[in-house]
Amino acid sequence: MTQMKSKTTPITSDYIDDPNYEKVHNPIFDSENISSFTLTEITDHKTDSGVLSQDSEFEIEDFAYSDDEFVYDDEENNETYDSMLSQPIKQITKKEMSEGSVPNLNYEVLTTQNIFKNMLSRLDHLQPVFNIPREDILLLMQHYDWNEERLLENWTERMDELLVEIGVSQKTSAVATSLEKKAENPDISGVKTKRGIAFKQSFECIICCEDKDTQTFSLECGHEYCIDCYRHYIENKLHNGNVITCMDCSLALKNIDIDTVMGHDSSKKLMASSIKSFIQKHNKNYKWCPYADCKCIIHLKDTSSLAEYTRLHFSPFVKCDAEHRFCFNCGFETHAPADCNVTNAWVKKAKKESENLNWVMSHTKECPKCGVNIEKDGGCNHMKCSSCKYEFCWICEGDWAPHGKSFYQCTLYTNDEKSKKKESEDLSKIMKKYTFYYRVFNEHEISAKLDWKLGQTIGSKVRALQEKMDVSWIEGQFLTDSIKILNEAVEDLSELLQIKDPEQIMKNKLEFYNKSGYVENRMYALMECGRDLLCKGICKPTD
Amino acid sequence: MSRAKRIMKEMQAVKDDPEAHITLEFVSESDIHHLKGSFLGPPGTPYENGTFIVDIEVPMEYPFKPPKMKFDTKVYHPNVSSVTGAICLDILKNAWSPVITLKSALISLQALLQSPEPNDPQDAEVAQHYLKDRESFNKTAALWTQLYAGGDAAAANNGADPDEADLYGISQELVQEFESQGFQKDRIIEVLRRLGIKSLSPDDNDTVNRVIEELLE
Repeated sequence: MTQMKSKTTPITSDYIDDPNYEKVHNPIFDSENISSFTLTEITDHKTDSGVLSQDSEFEIEDFAYSDDEFVYDDEENNETYDSMLSQPIKQITKKEMSEGSVPNLNYEVLTTQNIFKNMLSRLDHLQPVFNIPREDILLLMQHYDWNEERLLENWTERMDELLVEIGVSQKTSAVATSLEKKAENPDISGVKTKRGIAFKQSFECIICCEDKDTQTFSLECGHEYCIDCYRHYIENKLHNGNVITCMDCSLALKNIDIDTVMGHDSSKKLMASSIKSFIQKHNKNYKWCPYADCKCIIHLKDTSSLAEYTRLHFSPFVKCDAEHRFCFNCGFETHAPADCNVTNAWVKKAKKESENLNWVMSHTKECPKCGVNIEKDGGCNHMKCSSCKYEFCWICEGDWAPHGKSFYQCTLYTNDEKSKKKESEDLSKIMKKYTFYYRVFNEHEISAKLDWKLGQTIGSKVRALQEKMDVSWIEGQFLTDSIKILNEAVEDLSELLQIKDPEQIMKNKLEFYNKSGYVENRMYALMECGRDLLCKGICKPTD
Repeated sequence: MSRAKRIMKEMQAVKDDPEAHITLEFVSESDIHHLKGSFLGPPGTPYENGTFIVDIEVPMEYPFKPPKMKFDTKVYHPNVSSVTGAICLDILKNAWSPVITLKSALISLQALLQSPEPNDPQDAEVAQHYLKDRESFNKTAALWTQLYAGGDAAAANNGADPDEADLYGISQELVQEFESQGFQKDRIIEVLRRLGIKSLSPDDNDTVNRVIEELLE
């Protein structure tokens, strides 16, 4: 029996990266509310240890058929990325399936703005402790990567040092922390520079070495540079999210300073980058939605249940506000019923091999005898395998001998596709198998993309109908809903297929049939509706 | 625009301060963004009396982005790649600030030669050497200074190829011992360098066996 390193699960990152993909969703991430979700999509596919081994090596032949099934249904799943489960169905699924399975995932969907707001509200709690202006606490928090505990610990130990270190105050002044306080604080050096913008005539900036009448900016430290240089400097620093300091010393620019210099709300950018690096650091609990341009962040407070998911070969699927579903564990899109290991193995394999394979598939043929891949780089169709010396015809891949002098008889069209190739080598067998599954995978991916496009078209057509024609809102709504429900139902269907426990399967058999029937009926209803619209002349067929 | 002006000014500043023994020159007149700088090895270090030439590339965004610097002169130092001359120094990376000039950067390099940071190495082999056997490291670093940076013995050494073993601070006895067992000198040095072995006590059979194993591969 041939071992295959991966199972066929249609997961691609290309799909995620599809630039058009996110457009279908109405991004809700701008909304400020933080919604909590409880994961309900997880269904029971408790694994019979005999069927699935812990590692990612699978003996495909054992359940080749079911593999195929899964590929297909998962593809369906792919086709309906933009769909969501309707509420009633979802609840049923939950009730029926979550028994005896993994714990529900409690997570919230956030955005960087949300997180920043949370941080700000925490700041309010800290204010009485610190008793310094909010702006300064913000600097401290930013410096400590929003780690309150560590900050508090250090704060109690060496408050003054910390303020200097982070650039809240200068070494010379005691705890002069803010603009307001500065005025009251007698400066030790005597010439206290005012924080902010000034206008200087023939100012020579040591950064750009220009001598001109210009606005300048400086902090209390007196390191004064022209505003252009300062802008350039800040612009370059906004992305990494660290506290921005004076160019010559460690005195920090507060958000207010940044906005003063930049002339707009650049500090927001800085805060966003800072939050981003915070998320990066806490990537066990926080995960970006992997979909292109989706700004949602999933925050899982308690990651202890994740281990249970892995153990049972479940995948902790989460859903962001833009309805993108993905696996919290591996960051790929939903990949049930395969677990993360299998998915990773497949993706890795596909990634590694697909480029080569694509080339090989499009440029070469296999020698009919030994299976070696041959590229034809010129000459006639009389081929001689350089490996096994077998002579054959490039067109029909048959033995050359019978071709004799009647050249190219084989160019006659035949429908007979029976190929009697025998793989003698194990290697080519494995490759064949992989190629086969890759093809299947590829085909499904293509059709998923096409279907998604179709869905898009229908959506826009419906909108156009509503706007331009005399189709009532109700009718238009029916069409939209139909598509949506159809998508959801297909997703449900694929979820039902995840069940591996025999008892569960029996229990869900009826539901499966019902659902299939439902999908079919819906499809007919939709088609009938389309037909009616055509018949009544409301719509016209286009290309 | 400001970049050209600033570079010219920095050149002038270097010229105005001959005491620092720092030079800064354009590689070609037509390209003001490619320079060569040089400075003297800090006294009291193995780099003393050497003149170290640094290749400087000034990026478009200069002075908001750091210049790209690497040693043209071969340097035996934990924070400098002994092969490419690449430098591991924070001010040339994220700690860069627009107030730093090419001159002050060169002075920082000088300071780096004075006080290596073996815990943040660019060249792991050299850093190992530095941490394990400082005396031997110093000898090698001084040899490199002599050979490549025109140190005091440069004249005495002209023409003669340095011994490979000395070049990497590997003890001659050790090389000879393996040579007597019939191995090629190049191969011995290659293996010893790979394993980071500079010298061995004769009764350390485990290590000797490991070296031989490698040699036989």
